[in-house]
Amino acid sequence: MNKQYDVVIIGSGPAGTTTARIAAEHHLNVLLVDKKQELGSPIQCSGAVSRHALEYVGIAPSTEYIQEAIYGFDIYNQVGKHKTIDYRDLKPEEYGASEDKKPLGYVVDRRRFDRYLMTQAERAGVDVWLKTEGLGYKVNPDGTCTVFLKRFNEEINVQAKVLVGADGLQSQVGKWAGLHTHIKLPELASCLQFIVDNVETNGLLEIITGHEWAPGGYAWVFPKGHGYAEIGLGVARTMTEKNAQWHIDHFIKNSFFKERFKHSKVLEIQGGGVPLAAPLKTQYADNLILVGDAARHVNPITGGGIHTALSGGAIAGNFLSNFLRKNIAATANQLSQYQEEWLVALGNKMWKLYDIKTEIFKTKNIQDRDQMLYQTMSDYFSPDSEFKKI
Amino acid sequence: MSKRTPVLFQIGWNACINCGACVAICPQEAGFISPFDTIAVDKPCDIACLICEDICPVSTITHTEVIPTK
Repeated sequence: MNKQYDVVIIGSGPAGTTTARIAAEHHLNVLLVDKKQELGSPIQCSGAVSRHALEYVGIAPSTEYIQEAIYGFDIYNQVGKHKTIDYRDLKPEEYGASEDKKPLGYVVDRRRFDRYLMTQAERAGVDVWLKTEGLGYKVNPDGTCTVFLKRFNEEINVQAKVLVGADGLQSQVGKWAGLHTHIKLPELASCLQFIVDNVETNGLLEIITGHEWAPGGYAWVFPKGHGYAEIGLGVARTMTEKNAQWHIDHFIKNSFFKERFKHSKVLEIQGGGVPLAAPLKTQYADNLILVGDAARHVNPITGGGIHTALSGGAIAGNFLSNFLRKNIAATANQLSQYQEEWLVALGNKMWKLYDIKTEIFKTKNIQDRDQMLYQTMSDYFSPDSEFKKI
Repeated sequence: MSKRTPVLFQIGWNACINCGACVAICPQEAGFISPFDTIAVDKPCDIACLICEDICPVSTITHTEVIPTK
């Protein structure tokens, strides 16, 4: 007899661990697997997340994973004109470094953050198997499904009511179910970032727009704790002949920040594909739902995905606990309700952001496009933005 | 850009930063991956759209054409 679970989750990133923890807090029997031996690595992410996003899903800010506190934004255009949105100035009674005040958000170390989230899930009662790869799944006539796993060298089948694919942008789980997880080339930003020494920062997330530096995306400079910084950028490969590596070199050597970057020393090199795309149109199948990057729960303007993974995970965890209590088979039709709930809470706003993004990047005139992106970014991060919590 | 002839991909393992972008963009079915989370290098790709080569941030995916055996 195979081991039985209510929910099996493949992928132990922020979305998978949050789904797992919340389902377990509602007394579901949950197995979380990840093929890695160490979570969060290799790092494919800048690590910026708002304090609100953590609080919303009941995660306490902890020095275990926080690298530096963030108090606002600085949005630059191509030639260095910028708009500073520093909450220490905008709301000095609320935001600041002193003990009676709070930061707006954090830059986290994904290796520690993901492990911390997994620890919270384990403490809530989730079984976690590392070094465990998902090989496939099949729907059973009795309304459950069998998930085929390989743990170290051993092949193990487990039975589940619902399988959750939280296996990232490269989602294989979605492909098993025949979902259209395939993303188009113009909508995947090719990203590269360096962790550097000798670049000063001031508690702000700096975003640098302009076709010259990051065609189809933007560049960033984030504080990374211990006096380190992160210099990164994402480009759409349909909008440039050059790769991300060439662009980051060009940005460091030739931008208006070249003096600031002159003595920078590279400590780590990281990269990834970041979707600046619409959410997946279908995020469910028989006995299966997708969360996080796998469902493309990513902000299409900023490429930010931690907040959306946490919130989406909480929606999935709550949905599953309510649904499985009814004791009915988890058909695609039944699970479509998960997507409905997600759309109402987050997805519809994400679609709206996608429309704004599409409008910007279909503008042919580069100067107009640059101006639109700069304006959109400036508005997006302003205190009165309607998208503040996405 | 797109080719009809099947290709076999090669990865520059030293330059590869293991970012997964090639797998994310790939229109192949599930399982067209290597043990290192890159695009598969041990079987031919018959789509040969080559967008994985485009998306690679460090341009380290190359290919050779595979002559189909009859």
